[in-house]
Amino acid sequence: MKKENKVLGFLRDNTVPIMFIVICAVCIPISGFSASYLMNEIVTRMGRNIFLILALLIPIMSGMGLNFGMTLGAMAGEIALIFVSDWQIWGIPGVVLAMILSIPISIVLGAFCGKILNMAKGREMITSYIISFFMNGIYQLIVLYMMGSIIPIRHFSVKLPRGYGIRNTVSLLNMRQCLDNLLAVRVAGVKIPVLTFLIIALLCLFIVWFRRTKLGQDMRAVGQDMNVARDAGINVERTRIISIVMSTVLAGFGMVIYLQNMGNIATYSSHSQIGMFCIAALLVGGASVDRASIGNVFLGVVLFHTMFIVAPKAGAQITGDSMIGEYFRVFVSYAVITLALVMYETKKRKHKSLMAQQLQQEQKEASAS
Amino acid sequence: MKNARRLFFRIGAVLVLVAVAACMMVIGRGHTVYIDNKTLEYEGETYKAYYRAVVYVDGKKVSTLAARERGMATNIGQSFTMTVGIVEEKGRDEVPHEITIKLPYNMDGVIINIPGYMAGLPQEAWMTEFVSAPSEAEMQEEAPTEEEDILAGAEF
Repeated sequence: MKKENKVLGFLRDNTVPIMFIVICAVCIPISGFSASYLMNEIVTRMGRNIFLILALLIPIMSGMGLNFGMTLGAMAGEIALIFVSDWQIWGIPGVVLAMILSIPISIVLGAFCGKILNMAKGREMITSYIISFFMNGIYQLIVLYMMGSIIPIRHFSVKLPRGYGIRNTVSLLNMRQCLDNLLAVRVAGVKIPVLTFLIIALLCLFIVWFRRTKLGQDMRAVGQDMNVARDAGINVERTRIISIVMSTVLAGFGMVIYLQNMGNIATYSSHSQIGMFCIAALLVGGASVDRASIGNVFLGVVLFHTMFIVAPKAGAQITGDSMIGEYFRVFVSYAVITLALVMYETKKRKHKSLMAQQLQQEQKEASAS
Repeated sequence: MKNARRLFFRIGAVLVLVAVAACMMVIGRGHTVYIDNKTLEYEGETYKAYYRAVVYVDGKKVSTLAARERGMATNIGQSFTMTVGIVEEKGRDEVPHEITIKLPYNMDGVIINIPGYMAGLPQEAWMTEFVSAPSEAEMQEEAPTEEEDILAGAEF
């Protein structure tokens, strides 16, 4: 009986990853991709996306849920890359410069987002989601009208022919995969971007170390109970703002890594769904709104991207129309977020009612005695 | 005291980042170098193009230029080194010459005339700026429309 409960508990806690393992197990043979092709694609996408997804861990630690506001960091990374592209700084120096330039923009945007989220405690996720839409409008205004007219942009490959505004696509050909190719090794036909993985490993170590610092402990305390943390002398508001600022700065770095891998910036749309897909990948790895680990990030990227790679081909094989697979993977991204949110809310309500029952029982016992 | 120390470290961190950024701007400046094997007229003198010039950058052959031809190489940083194997006339042996040139920071594209450089002329004679003309498609690109671009999802 106990063993049965344990199995049920395990299945309940890992519904999403198990579901994805099943989807992948069904789709991989149908898609007909070779193992080396799949491995190559997955390793490339790991290098491209893990840094961005790791940026989500710190706000979860401080109880602010899934930070849809990471889009703000992505915008900061894009603006930095537009400048670097205009100044014609190529290769690794271009990547480093873009990361440095993104820091002040990310800090300003992160502090703004953090302040607003402090005014909307308990509704951080929806608020950060709406902030990202609001900020997208400001981004469009800056990139479409202010760059080239007020903010100096001179290179014709970056600027629109009308004299202001940025082109729909900015080429990053001169820094394309410069991080991935430096120190890259090939193992059984699979290209492993060692430097990118080293940077990711450094960030993982930083997160592990950060959790043990005073600030990290404060964030965890705030995440567990804000009132208790405040009574313990922690400046809750400041701690929450710092966690969002850190997440935004890391998202800015992650976006630079992501775009150097892609080799171009879709100026007006690169950032638009990045938050959604990163959050979906993290949830697929078994994370929840209030609990996420580095392991969830890695598992999530592997499962989510395997589904991303094989779904269109599998869809085409089954139905003869590859668009079915395209729709399927977008549908699954949204569905997995919905499922995770519903499961979190159900769990929270269950816990609440259990606590209420317990309190009622205690009160009954006290009145009886 | 604690606040002063914190401020000191913050200012230090900002200065380090600014210094690294400045360094990256110098060492990462990219240039496209166009190498011309073309006859050059300078102050009434004519410097004839070579029969053939083979250009090597970082040990790799970039282009083989006959007379009146142009080759291209990319370079990151302000110093550009190439080896040019010159064949002055048909039937003669290739003679390699190592050339190191300081590239001006403000030029994206730099044209280097090999006969002029080899003749020891001043820099303004053999180095000119290359200003690329945008293509037809680039000239016709318009600002994105909401439906097409701004609201479109990106590849992940």
